[in-house]
Amino acid sequence: MTALLASLGRTALRLAREVGGLLGFGARVARALAPPRPDRRELVRSLYKMGNRSVTIVVLTALFAGGLMAIQSGSFVKKLGATGLAGWGAGYAVLREIGPILIALMFSGRVGANTTAELATMTLTEQLDGLRALAIDPLRYLIVPRVLAMVVMLVALTVLGDLVALLGAAAVAHVVMDIEWATMMTSFADNLAPADFFHGVGKSIAFAVAIALSSCYFGVSVRGGAPGVGRAVNASVVTSAVAIVLLDFFLTYLTS
Amino acid sequence: MTSPAPRPAQPATAPGAAPAVELRGVRKTFDGRAVLDDVDLVVAPGARVGVLGAAASGKSLLLRLLCGLIAPDVGAISVLGEEVTGRREAELGTLRRRLGVLFQSYALFDFLTVAGNVAFPLEQRGEADPATIAAAVAQRLRAVGLAGSEARWPSELSGGMKKRVGIARATICAPELLLYDEPTAGLDPVTSRKIFDLLDADQRATGATVLAVSSDVPALLGFVDEVVFLHAGRVHHRGPVAALPDARDPVLRAFLDGEAGGAGGAP
Repeated sequence: MTALLASLGRTALRLAREVGGLLGFGARVARALAPPRPDRRELVRSLYKMGNRSVTIVVLTALFAGGLMAIQSGSFVKKLGATGLAGWGAGYAVLREIGPILIALMFSGRVGANTTAELATMTLTEQLDGLRALAIDPLRYLIVPRVLAMVVMLVALTVLGDLVALLGAAAVAHVVMDIEWATMMTSFADNLAPADFFHGVGKSIAFAVAIALSSCYFGVSVRGGAPGVGRAVNASVVTSAVAIVLLDFFLTYLTS
Repeated sequence: MTSPAPRPAQPATAPGAAPAVELRGVRKTFDGRAVLDDVDLVVAPGARVGVLGAAASGKSLLLRLLCGLIAPDVGAISVLGEEVTGRREAELGTLRRRLGVLFQSYALFDFLTVAGNVAFPLEQRGEADPATIAAAVAQRLRAVGLAGSEARWPSELSGGMKKRVGIARATICAPELLLYDEPTAGLDPVTSRKIFDLLDADQRATGATVLAVSSDVPALLGFVDEVVFLHAGRVHHRGPVAALPDARDPVLRAFLDGEAGGAGGAP
């Protein structure tokens, strides 16, 4: 019993330390962002790497996620004979929930994990100290461009993913359930509002901030050599995933 | 490369000159263990000081304290006339621009080429003319024997080449104080000799103050004028290199004999 309590206490302390560290790190990043003066070369490099690395996986995921939504909603609308609502069912779910959350999870696994591993390796090989010794603030030089790039790229990828997912939904509805392209497009146009789209985009900004802070924080606070890099990546991905789900719940709750 | 010509030893403190480095009662603990404890050290401008000591005796820590990468628990540090202790990170920028640091694990930026790494300090200090930067980089790379390596990436270089790129980066802005942390660790004796010859030529050209940490004691002793021996968290011995053969202190003697004999063990 004592051992169990001690273990729980240790876990709670570790959790509190990480949450406190993450919040403190977020505050330092926020200060460094006012005004945002990122190193332009580092920003462009980050934008290119993050976008280039994620487009394929986002397109694939969005295509099938859209198709999946079409199948799920299509079976009901076919049964009820309301094919005019097939686009609404798939589109509403894609724009407000599935698109932002799936793409954010993919982005976290791909870009967030890579960013953590990159920063952790740089930390362990004294590159961050090397910057500091050259009077360069690693936060401004390395972290701020990555945070900005992640926000810009996740929003861009979410917009792209939304479009691809809607196309995927229309394609699957046409091929699998024999619903006309025009019917789906009309259904999208008639039943989906810009607010649905912007709701998802707003979520993607919040998800991007969570992924960026988590991946950068665990990268720069790595300890313990190569195994530490693995632990940092793991912690970053898990924290990002939990943050995405929690943020999604609260943002949906607050805006519904 | 040939052996450097004999160089007159620098005085411990030049009369009237402000010290390049001054530590007063510095203490730093990790996990309750005092790695450095009540360390006092004064280094005169232009001196070449070798820092000796067994593994984990605080040699690298001493260099990190000097450039403000780590703050001491107790004590005061001033470098090139500026206080290091009690200052925020952003306030250390001016001082750090006057330093050159070679890290034990090179600390080359893996997102930049060799030229990018060497040019980095110049670019960050506002040098905007690409031609001036390219010329300075080419000159530095020639000096370290890496002419033509501009476009290569750090991952394509051997350990010795990385060290030399690190030296080129540390010295490109002709800093007033150079901190070398294990400049020859893991290198063969020939490359090690070349690196020390290079450091020697550089120091002669600039007159910079040098603090060097190296486990390659014989090579280090050929480069520096005086040594500081750290033991049990304190400066156990300090004196000119020329006096080391006559040193009678048993701890220092045991360390030197162990190192010189290749046993590498210090008590």
